[in-house]
Amino acid sequence: MRLPLAMLRYLAKRIMLLFTTLVVAVYLTIIIANAGGLIDDILRAQLRYEITSNLARSPGWAQLTEEEQRKIISDRLQAAIQAKGLDRPFLERTFRYLIDALTLSLGRALFITSASGSKAVSDIVIERLPQTVLLFTTGTILYSLIGLLIGLYMARRPGGFFDKVFSVFAVVTQVIPPWFFGILFIMVFAYYLGITPFGGMVSVPPPKDPLIYALDVIYHMALPLFTWIFSLFGAWAYIARNLIIQIAEEDFVNTAKAKGLPDNIVMRRHVLRPSLPPIVTVISLSLIASWQGAIITETVFNWPGLGTLFYQAINSLDAPVVIGLTVIYAYLLVATVLILDLIYSILDPRIRAGRI
Amino acid sequence: MSMPRGLRDVVDAVLHSKTGVVGLSILIAIIVLSILAIIYVPFDIAREWNNPSFWQRNPRLASPSWTNIFVGGKLPETMILSNDSFRKYSYYLETIGLKYCILETEFQYLYEDFPSELRLSLYVDTDGAFITVRWIQPNGIDITIWRGLFKRGLNTIYISRQLDVREYIRDSLKRLNLTTPSVVNPEVILFTDNSVTHSELTPVNGGYRVRVEAVSSDLYADIEAELIVYGKVYGLVGTDNNRRDLFVGLVWGAPIALAFGLIAAIATSFIQTLIGSLSAWYGRLVDEVIQRITDIYMIIPFLPILITISVIYRIDIWTLLIVVVGLSLFGGATKTARSMTFQIMTEQYIEAAASYGASRKRILFLYILPRLMPYTMANIVLSVPGYVFLEAALSVLGLGDPMMPTWGKIISDAYSGGAVVHGLWWWILLPSALIILTAISFAFIGLALDKVVNPRLRER
Repeated sequence: MRLPLAMLRYLAKRIMLLFTTLVVAVYLTIIIANAGGLIDDILRAQLRYEITSNLARSPGWAQLTEEEQRKIISDRLQAAIQAKGLDRPFLERTFRYLIDALTLSLGRALFITSASGSKAVSDIVIERLPQTVLLFTTGTILYSLIGLLIGLYMARRPGGFFDKVFSVFAVVTQVIPPWFFGILFIMVFAYYLGITPFGGMVSVPPPKDPLIYALDVIYHMALPLFTWIFSLFGAWAYIARNLIIQIAEEDFVNTAKAKGLPDNIVMRRHVLRPSLPPIVTVISLSLIASWQGAIITETVFNWPGLGTLFYQAINSLDAPVVIGLTVIYAYLLVATVLILDLIYSILDPRIRAGRI
Repeated sequence: MSMPRGLRDVVDAVLHSKTGVVGLSILIAIIVLSILAIIYVPFDIAREWNNPSFWQRNPRLASPSWTNIFVGGKLPETMILSNDSFRKYSYYLETIGLKYCILETEFQYLYEDFPSELRLSLYVDTDGAFITVRWIQPNGIDITIWRGLFKRGLNTIYISRQLDVREYIRDSLKRLNLTTPSVVNPEVILFTDNSVTHSELTPVNGGYRVRVEAVSSDLYADIEAELIVYGKVYGLVGTDNNRRDLFVGLVWGAPIALAFGLIAAIATSFIQTLIGSLSAWYGRLVDEVIQRITDIYMIIPFLPILITISVIYRIDIWTLLIVVVGLSLFGGATKTARSMTFQIMTEQYIEAAASYGASRKRILFLYILPRLMPYTMANIVLSVPGYVFLEAALSVLGLGDPMMPTWGKIISDAYSGGAVVHGLWWWILLPSALIILTAISFAFIGLALDKVVNPRLRER
């Protein structure tokens, strides 16, 4: 497909905005975390740890007196602090941290280690990312599709029995967050009915055979996935219904009907097609909300993704991990919006024409 | 698009739709509950929420009393036999120089299940006393449950938990030539008929006597006693694993949840609407700046930042409220208010006001903002549940308010206390039901308002 100039310009503008958002979000996090000098303290402690553990391994260290050892440590610490710029004024330091965070050098965790044994925050976080993406992208794709279909069905006869009942269902599920349904569903399906596990991603110990492993993951994924879809598809159907009803009232739809086009062609060409761009906009907003909702949903289901990591970091007061996760979430949200912007620019003909 | 004229339309819309009336009635019920909470359950009790010793006399993890109706059998209530219910004899034998204090109480046990725990507290008012505690069952079997020396002060025998109590019981049953199962909890064995062997243990109903005998060399020795037979049901909504009466937490959770949700919703909706209309009304650079900030605000990872703040600064619920409002100064409502203001600006009465010399500020505040109020109201109503659940979500993550009992905190305690995996339904379902009802009431009112604010959505 040929990319028209107008579309590129639109995308460039969006990328600028998204990059600014990323910088603002990360910088805000840093300012918040460092207002009490927290990041400074963490970095100093880490430098001291690295220096002492390096020195302790060097030959002849044990022969030195305690006085000499202390002097060497403090000298090296001073040098390291200067090299890292920890003695610079507050504002300058925060900018250094900003660049570190943006390049994903997120420092070392205080307590949490990754499964591979690394203490680097970026390793820990990257290791958890696939699980979160697996569960929530599957869930989001499924609930959007189901919601869209039901929305279409509702819009066919607005005010009918199904439409009314489903609207109430949609509004009720919309105000109750997925994690809350999660707790209730675990009680019903895992405790009372005993047909699903209580949480986690694989059985303990994990099965060896890759096929059985995959089936085991699906078995564990069923309830969180069901919860996610159940709590979100209603609201989604309601939004789609409203958009379709609004567009179905437009004059061009009436004209199409008047000139005798069959109903399903009118629906496809004149109603669905123009309703796609606003639907993408709504998806992008609801995805932002749901990525964040995933934090608590994962915690409730003990799903080993970013959300559970957040929970662990909070409970062990592992500040570098908390800050690192916030940075990762900023990236995640910005990336999501960027992908949807791309889709949007393909779907909306006004962008190609340079009208937006 | 025709916009609602004012707040009258909003009220009418709620009262003329079925969902609106249902939502409003639920909301009123919850508000009445909050008011009753403040009147009947003094704040002093709610403040003791995190003080375990305050709740000592309640059973652990007891289900609500009304479960008796469904269970069929009769589950025991807690019985507290205070010092007044003990008869007291004391005499001093001058020949050997010993003072005898004997306390005895009798209670009727008429339940079909065993109590959950037993506890005997003795206050000894002398430097040392040798104490024997005897338990006499309705059929006359006399079991010594404790024997030993107590020092001055409050001494508590945790009959169900102390291993020495089990030894004493086994010994006295052996002396009476009665068989005992190897490991049985005292609260069970003390209430069974031990003269026969059973396949299934059931409590013996009837009068039980507890006798405390103290011997001391002090003429002025005195002793006070309190026996607690902890039940398996308690109050209207049961207790949690810290023996706390959940009723207090649930009832006080209502005003806290409503206040948090409403204040956050009102503040953010008003601020966002105001900023949105400012953006449209002053236009140009102001508009551009506000719109870009809004775009950024809408993508920022709000919850992770909120979590970072809570982790680092350990804030209480009202500081949290301020932070939440600060993080939602711009948002969806800014965009909507802006586009609505653009629409209103083209109307003739604005032009008329400008032509008679009204200042721009006056037009904005007196002629434009009032027109946005119905929309703001709807927005407030629809965003309350989100904030109520936000507080609950932070509690589940362990970042809730450390002092106040909130619904979210109770749910989170229940979740981490294993209510879900052990089926302690009252602990988790009752607060959940309240929080869901609150959310639904606002959602229903919001659904009714949706039709005022978005007239095109009205069913044809």
